[in-house]
Amino acid sequence: MKQNILLQLHPMTKFFFTLFIFAVVLISPGYIFSFAIFPILILIAMLAGVAKEFLNIVIKALVTVLIFIFIMQMFFYPGENVLWEWGIFEIKQEGIKYGLLLTSRILAIGSAFILFFRMTEVRDFVKSLEDIGLPPMGAYVVLSTLQIIPEMRRQANTIMEAQKTRGVETEGSIFVRAKAFIPTLTPLILSSIAGTEERAITLESRAFSAPVKKTSLHQLSKSNMDRALPIVFALVVIGLIVWRFFL
Amino acid sequence: MTAMIDLKNVSYRYPVSDDSVLKNISFSIEKGKFTAIIGNNGSGKTTLCNTIRGFVPHFYKGELDGEVIIDQTKITDYQLGQLGEKVGYVFQNPFIQVSGVKDNVFEEVAYGLENLGIPVEEIKVRVEEVLKLVKIEYLRDKNPFELSGGQRQRVALASIIVMDPEILVIDEPTSQLDPIGTQQIFEIIRLMKERGKTIVLVEHKMDLIAEYADDLLVMHKGELVMQGPVREVFADPEFEKYQIQYPHVTEIALQLQQSGIPLTFLPIRDEELADALNRTEVAAHD
Ligand SMILES: Nc1ncnc2c1ncn2[C@@H]1O[C@H](COP(=O)(O)OP(=O)(O)O)[C@@H](O)[C@H]1O
Ligand SMILES: [Mg+2]
Repeated sequence: MKQNILLQLHPMTKFFFTLFIFAVVLISPGYIFSFAIFPILILIAMLAGVAKEFLNIVIKALVTVLIFIFIMQMFFYPGENVLWEWGIFEIKQEGIKYGLLLTSRILAIGSAFILFFRMTEVRDFVKSLEDIGLPPMGAYVVLSTLQIIPEMRRQANTIMEAQKTRGVETEGSIFVRAKAFIPTLTPLILSSIAGTEERAITLESRAFSAPVKKTSLHQLSKSNMDRALPIVFALVVIGLIVWRFFL
Repeated sequence: MTAMIDLKNVSYRYPVSDDSVLKNISFSIEKGKFTAIIGNNGSGKTTLCNTIRGFVPHFYKGELDGEVIIDQTKITDYQLGQLGEKVGYVFQNPFIQVSGVKDNVFEEVAYGLENLGIPVEEIKVRVEEVLKLVKIEYLRDKNPFELSGGQRQRVALASIIVMDPEILVIDEPTSQLDPIGTQQIFEIIRLMKERGKTIVLVEHKMDLIAEYADDLLVMHKGELVMQGPVREVFADPEFEKYQIQYPHVTEIALQLQQSGIPLTFLPIRDEELADALNRTEVAAHD
């Protein structure tokens, strides 16, 4: 199924790539370079076969934020060169420039992280962190939270259904839905608190704290690519730093 | 024979409760024995299991008096993690016994072995074997959260016996199973006994206890009121006092006895009834 070369990369390689983008964006001057990164990320997403989900999340999660930030900077960034004015509102050239810089950086870094999580199973990422020393308890907390969210959603739905049969309105405006949803939180939270104690004994009964080194059925392998790419990233970043600050 | 589980004058009170849940309990279980704990709801069976497993007092605080000795070592001298390998414990509630980090039954069953640091190749072999034994091979790719109660009970049992502990403590493992499923669980327990495991089982199904178990512990309101070989405990007139069910055949035999039909012995297994009646006839002819 997972025949895609990009998807098959080690989670750490993908993570290094994300950090690489982060570094490049911060080092490089101006906004043109940073804006140019976005099409590259789209290209990578296409090659990895996740372009649709990637764009979808970028649009949902980033675009409104970016527009908002841009408008704020445009009007309120201090500057001299007023381009347009209406009452107390002034658009300044400095504001536009700074707004573009900020949004270009947020777009590049934000979408790099989104792309990372589109291309990496969280399970694999956590495993790779465990391999470099994340304690098992930390790994457990992350993974169990991920598993439990759908479980809790299922429970919440059950409770909502029950409310509906009792005649509570559960559909309609946000206000109506919130009114129906909030009472379900109490049983949900209570049951998950009660659940933590039980979970602790469950883990104990499965030898979670046995004084030995754990093994794992789930193994990640590193290819030559995984060894080479981080070095390439590092060299490029060093090159950029030298070019930017020393030449 | 050496004692595997040894309790001496054990009393225990949960942190928030006013009354002791276990009252001055003493018994000793030999290695390789299959002991059933019976008693009505709330009589303290589960708490007793928690005590044998060391969750009392390592996990449930509260007042514990007396001594709990597992395989010659006091429970307070073990670390919680060390007991995991020695005492396998299958809980009463199958819905809480999922690790919550595995997406399929195969990995779920393997989880305890990963924690014990068993090499991956060996884990695979052992999990395969246990899935077959517990008859859940068909569930191997299913999400543990999406199983029925009975399926979860089997997975929970498999997850523990795969770790191959010396002592198995199993709390009501058949509450969600049909008669055939229940019988299968008892067959698995018998197999574990043949492998030399020491078994402590909480169960309400007396017919199966009469058929499979060696000894009985009878709990009543926190006290251990009777103990001994299964047959002796059921035959003791005191047993009736605690309002616990008899095996069906014993119930019938007692009715027959009351209506004046003499029996040479009190049957506890179905196939013994005819024998108990026949022999009296022979005796009458003489
Ligand atoms: N975690 C707990 N905290 C306080 N009291 C408890 C707890 N668990 C059980 N009990 C009480 O201890 C008594 C014995 O319970 P339990 O051992 O579960 O009995 P059984 O398994 O025989 O039904 C009950 O009265 C119960 O209410
Ligand atoms: Mg119980």
